[in-house]
Order: sequence, then structure tokens, then C-alpha cells
Amino acid sequence: MFLFFFWFCTETCSDSLPQQDPLRFVMNLERLPNEEKLCLCRKYYLAGFALLPFLWLVNVVWFFREAFVKPAYTEQSQIKTYVKRSGMGLLFWVAVLTTWITIFQHFRAEWGAMGDYLSFTIPLGIP
Amino acid sequence: MDLPSNKWIVHLLVCCFVVGVNCNSVDKKIYVKLNYTVSCVRLLNATHQIGCQSSLSGNVGVLHVLESEDNLDWVLSSGPNPPYMVILESPLFTRSVMMKLKSGSSRVAGVAVVAPNTNPAGAFSPHTTCPNENSGVYSETYDPAMANCNKTVWNPLGNGLSYEEFDFPIFSLKDDNDTQVIRQCYLDHNRAVNGSRPRYPLCAMQLYSLMFAVTDTATCMRRNDINLSINPEMVCDPLGDYNVWASTRPLNNTAKGHKMWESAVVAAARLDSRSFFFDIAPGAQSGVSGFVALLAAAHALRDVVQEAPPNRTILYTFFQGETFDYIGSSRMVYDMENNQFAVDLDNIHSVLEVGQVGLRNDSKLWLHTDPVSRRNDSVNKEVEDLIANLRLAATNLSVTPEVPTASQPLPPSSFQRFLRARPIPGVVLEDHQSAFTSRFYESMYDNAEYLNVSYPPNLTPEEQLRFVTESAKALTEVATLVARALYRQAGGAETQLVNINADSQTVTQMLYGFLVRTNNSWFQQLIPSDFMSHLTNRPPNLYVGAVQQSSEPTVLVQFLMANLTGSTVNVTQENCQNQREDENDKESRHMYIYMWVQGAVPPNSTQRQGFCVRSTARLSKAVSPAFDLREFTSKDYSTWTESRWKPISGRIFLVASHELEMLTLGVGVGVLLTSLLLTYVISAKADILFSSGREPTNATY
Repeated sequence: MFLFFFWFCTETCSDSLPQQDPLRFVMNLERLPNEEKLCLCRKYYLAGFALLPFLWLVNVVWFFREAFVKPAYTEQSQIKTYVKRSGMGLLFWVAVLTTWITIFQHFRAEWGAMGDYLSFTIPLGIP
Repeated sequence: MDLPSNKWIVHLLVCCFVVGVNCNSVDKKIYVKLNYTVSCVRLLNATHQIGCQSSLSGNVGVLHVLESEDNLDWVLSSGPNPPYMVILESPLFTRSVMMKLKSGSSRVAGVAVVAPNTNPAGAFSPHTTCPNENSGVYSETYDPAMANCNKTVWNPLGNGLSYEEFDFPIFSLKDDNDTQVIRQCYLDHNRAVNGSRPRYPLCAMQLYSLMFAVTDTATCMRRNDINLSINPEMVCDPLGDYNVWASTRPLNNTAKGHKMWESAVVAAARLDSRSFFFDIAPGAQSGVSGFVALLAAAHALRDVVQEAPPNRTILYTFFQGETFDYIGSSRMVYDMENNQFAVDLDNIHSVLEVGQVGLRNDSKLWLHTDPVSRRNDSVNKEVEDLIANLRLAATNLSVTPEVPTASQPLPPSSFQRFLRARPIPGVVLEDHQSAFTSRFYESMYDNAEYLNVSYPPNLTPEEQLRFVTESAKALTEVATLVARALYRQAGGAETQLVNINADSQTVTQMLYGFLVRTNNSWFQQLIPSDFMSHLTNRPPNLYVGAVQQSSEPTVLVQFLMANLTGSTVNVTQENCQNQREDENDKESRHMYIYMWVQGAVPPNSTQRQGFCVRSTARLSKAVSPAFDLREFTSKDYSTWTESRWKPISGRIFLVASHELEMLTLGVGVGVLLTSLLLTYVISAKADILFSSGREPTNATY
């Protein structure tokens, strides 16, 4: 866990660039060089596999314009792939979570003890 | 310079204060809070939930005062402004009305019952027709012919409302100014004149009584144990409290289990009652009449058991929670079986239980016995002896003991739990031959008025306390009979019987204390000073309640028992409170209970003169064994739990029509959107709009 965070926060994307503030990816995407964008996009895509679908969501929202709207540039095809894959992963997660939440909410009361043990907070006054 | 600025601050503070006050009064202008709100609450057992509840934010409904049962149509179908909050006068609080409201509950927001100031002429019992049907001794295996009240329906007037589940709140209102305000509000705003729609604004009421627990005891006890969340909330608590017990001979309470050479006659009574609403359970006939008679009997026996002790010990027991499947008695029997009590079942010689004895119309007292255990000859002989003793005890008394038909089973009684364990000989004293005499069994009308505990007008509370009522005299006779019978049953000499007489003065004072007000000068003398705050100017609530809250009658009965059967000992306050006679005494605590009571105020003094009372009046746990065994679906023991709830309250206010509400909301949203749009436009065109002002700063930038 810790190693993952360490990697995510500190690894710089490109050696060619001068070392800057490691948290600079909060900066405006427009001002980054293209290879930096690709590296960021890749980082978010990979990190999403650590059961973090929100990173994929961020990736899709953030890089959608870069991947599909902007005029073509060298790294764009790769960014496109990452954004697409992130989107697919996101969809998969949404489907799984929606199904599970629907099932859980619907059957929690019926499951009795099991339903209670699976719950974090149990609503008051209803089964 | 200083002076004016100070002035400003003062002005500002005054303004703030005025604003604060205004806020308060706006709330007061909108809402009228109900002062006296007694609610029906949710209880759960192994299989069911009963009682009432509101939604999370309280149920709101337009007030409708129900005038007759035909008028229900307005609430259930024709009225144009559902849901309705139905105000019932008590004659309409019947099963048929309530069940109709329950089935149409989508149009019913709640019910408020106006409790009358005098008892109704008819009968009302919200209890079941066969109380404690499944937890007594008469199961299918014991005798199929007697199970489920097959032979005798004990409470034929019972309508079972207390055991129904309602998904709306039901409150009780006192018939006073509050209720008058509600009625007036209804008349002014909601009353349909000549069948026309009542016009807005309408008078509405909101009732909050959110119950946490749901489904059944197993579910809520499980949820109590799940502590995942950040602030885990308990959802329910087992019903229970303490039994009170005392013995004529001190029993070592530290050494539990069987006592060699000990033989005890159990004299039992029940301490609790209930009604539809949890906060009012006067239980005059169902509880108070019995335990007051037994307390008076114990008092009558105090001296004679010291001077001419009988062979056997008399074990006085006051069971708590009997209304809910015999919580107290089942626990004591369980403790006796498991050597957790001062004696065990082998030590029990026989049982004499005092049931409902407050309403004897024709001086008869009925001796109920169990026909099944009497099929055994030796048990039958013991029972016959006990009946003979009771008859002997009645000589020269105005009470005539009578025996109902031999095939009739026992009425609902704690003795049944002893019989469940083994065939112990015993008799239950009641004022009814078969079905209950009581018209108000386990209802809020089972009060002082119903027992005819009434006083001539213009008496001060002190005079009322001393006034010997006719009911007290009648109950004294019963107490004398019980005392003499117990003495004979314990093996005492027949010649002593004439010396055993219950004191009508004590009985009337106890009736006053338990039925009119606990805060009286006599009770004040008999209790420790730290219990003073519990005394009130109302009769105590006999509902057993959750385990955590100590029940007031239990403690009062313990103090009374201690004072009426114990003796005053010359011990310092410190030693008394440490349960010892002197500094080196380590043994007495096993045998006795010491209480430092505050005593009376002597004339020409203001300081009470406390003293130490030594007695055997102890408490023992009255919590169903099901909760110790964690068998929440138990069929043998009581599984009743009480849900926890958010504060219960109610208020009335005027509501505007739905259209007006929507219009107000619409205008609000419109204003918001317009302002957003305006802001956007202004910020987008800022350079044009504010160009002249901006230019110099732009230049420097």
C-alpha cells in the first residue's frame, strides 16, 4: 500500500524534464509537454488496477479532450488507448457495483443475520 | 472616542438579542407543543413486534376529530386532505375502529386518544383474552384439554389491542387545556361545513416516536452487538427489573443452593402491570391489590413469627415483569434450579399466591388450584391441607374462601412457573371464580377509581393518607386471611391465629401511596434520603420497563417490606450503610440487609431522625433467562424486549395548501435561477460594465 502511494506520488514522468515539484500533476494540463501527458495518463491507468476505479474516472474525464478532440500528435494514439481502457474498466466497475448495490439493498432485510453483518450502518426502525 | 464606540457595541448586542428572541417567538408562533404526550412504544418478542412507531421525521397529518365510527369514512376514503391525524375520544378507542385505521394506514398519519378524567362505564381491556398463553404451565404436553385457555377464557373482555402492530404513532392526551386547543384548532380550520371541502390553511399535528428496533428480539439483540459504525447505537433492551423477596427466618444469601433442613412456604404476588401506553400502568386491581395484601400480611406476621416461630420459613416473593410471560418468576425458578438462589426447589414446601383480590363483590375469595398436579395423591393431599388451612384462617373473618370446580385450571399466575418445574402443591387466591372480575384488565383505567379508593372531599393529602377507605378494610380482611393461612401452613400453632391481624391503617396508607401519590409523608419516612427524588405526586407506573431503568414500585416495595417486617437496630449510619452491625462484623451481611431510612420529623424540629432498619428484604434479578442463555427465540422463557426511541414529542400547527407550498418553492427556485443567471451575465460582461473603473488598474498590470 505504502509503496504504491510512494510510487504514485514521487515517480517523475520523464527524466528529460527538470525535476520539479512531485505534485505538479495538479497543474493545468495544457501547460504540460506531450510526453508528460502520456506518462500521467499511463500512471493513472495503471494505478486504477489497484481497485481504484475513481482514478480511471479521473483519467477519462481529464484526458478525454486530449485523446479525442485535440489535433493529432505523436503520443495521442497511446493516450487514446489508455483512456479507452480506463473507460472500459470504469464501466465494468460501475456495472458490478450497481448490480451489487441493487441486490444488497433489495435483499438485506431478507438475508437476516448475514445482511446485518455485511452492513456498516444499519438503518433504524426499518427491517 | 471611547464612549460612542461602546454605545455602538451595546446597540449591536441589543440588536442580536432582539433577533434571537424574535427567532424563538417565530417558532412559538408556528408551533404549539403538546405538554403531555404518552406514547405507545414498540416491544418485540421471539417472533413478533408490537406497538407503534412514527417515521424518521415524525408523522404529519391534518387533524380530524372522530365523532362516531361512521365518521371513519372521511378519514379512510372521502376526506380530501389525507393523511389524517385522528383524534379519538376514549369510547371510540375500540378494536374495530383501530383495526379499520390500521388497514387504511396509508391515509392515517397517527392517532391521538383523549384519555378521560373519569373511567368509562363499559369495559376496556387492551390485553389478550388469554394472558401469557404460551408461557404458563398449560402447554399441549401438560394437558391438551387445558392449553390455550380451552377450559376458561380468563379475560373475555380483552380486545388484544396491546398486542397489535401499528405503523403509525398512537399518543394519549389528557383531557385538559391542551386538548381543548386541539379541538378548537380543528373546529376553526378543518371542520367541513355542509359537506364542502375545508379551506386552507388546515390544522395539522406532528407526532414523533421513532422506534429503533424492528422485526423481533433476535434481530434487535444481534444489531445491539454489531459495533461496526462510528457511534454504535443500541436498538433494544430486554424487559426486566428485580424481584423483591424476604423470609421470616434469615437465609444466608451468600451460600446459594440447597439449604439443609430448610422448608419454605412461598407467599407470592406480582408487582407489575401494563396498558396500551407505556407510561401509564396503574395496575390497581391486577398488581397493587395483590402485593399490598401480601405486604400487609407480612406486616401482620412480623411479631408472631418472632415470638412463636413456626417450623417452616415463609418466603415472601414479589415478582416483577409477570405480565410479559412471567419474567420474574421464571427467573427465580431458573435460579433455584441452577443453585443461584438462597434456596432451591427442594426447599419449597408449598406456594400460596395472592392474585387479583381488590374487587370482591360478595365477600368470596376463590382458591384456585391446578387439577393436573392434583391427580397425584400426595400433591392432592398437600393442596387439601392448604385449602383447609385457608378455611381455618377465615374463621371469624368476613371473607369466605370458596373452591371453584375441580377441573378448572389455574388462572394466569406466577405459581404456574413453579408447576412447570415440578408439581409443587399450591393455591392461588383470586376474587373471581372463573373469568376475571376486572373490566379494565391491564388498561389505564385499572386505577384508584376502579378500586373505589376515593376520599371524602376537602381532605388534605395528609388526611387522605390516614383515611381508612372501604376498599382498604376489605383488603385488610384478605391480608389477615393470608397471614393466618401462611402461619398455619408454616406449622404455627392454631392458638396464635387470633393474634394475627392485618392493620387497616397500614393497608390504606399503602393503597394511597401506590394508587394516588407516592410522595406522601409515610413513604418519605420509610426510604433513604437519596430515593426522595423518585417520589412523585402521581401513582407509580407499574410497567416493568427495560432492564437499565430501575422500576419505582420495586424499590418502594423493598423499602416497605424492610420497614414492615424488619426491626430497628441501634447501629451508626456508616455501619448501617456498610451492611454491618459494628466495625468487626463481617457475617451479618450474609443474613440481613441494612437500610438507613430517613425517618419522621419529630415535633418542634426540622431535621429528620434517621434510623437503621435490619431486614431480610432483598432484591433478586428479574431478567428472563433467555437473555443469559442468549436464546432469543426461546419458547420456554420470556423474550420480550423494548425498543429504544428518539425523544417522543408532538406539536400542532397550520399547514398551507399543497399548491401554495409548491408556488412558494417555485418562486424561490425562480429567484435563485434568476440571480445565478444575472451573476453569470454580469461576470461575463464585467469588462464592459465596469470598464471605466478598471482602466487605471489594467494599465498598471
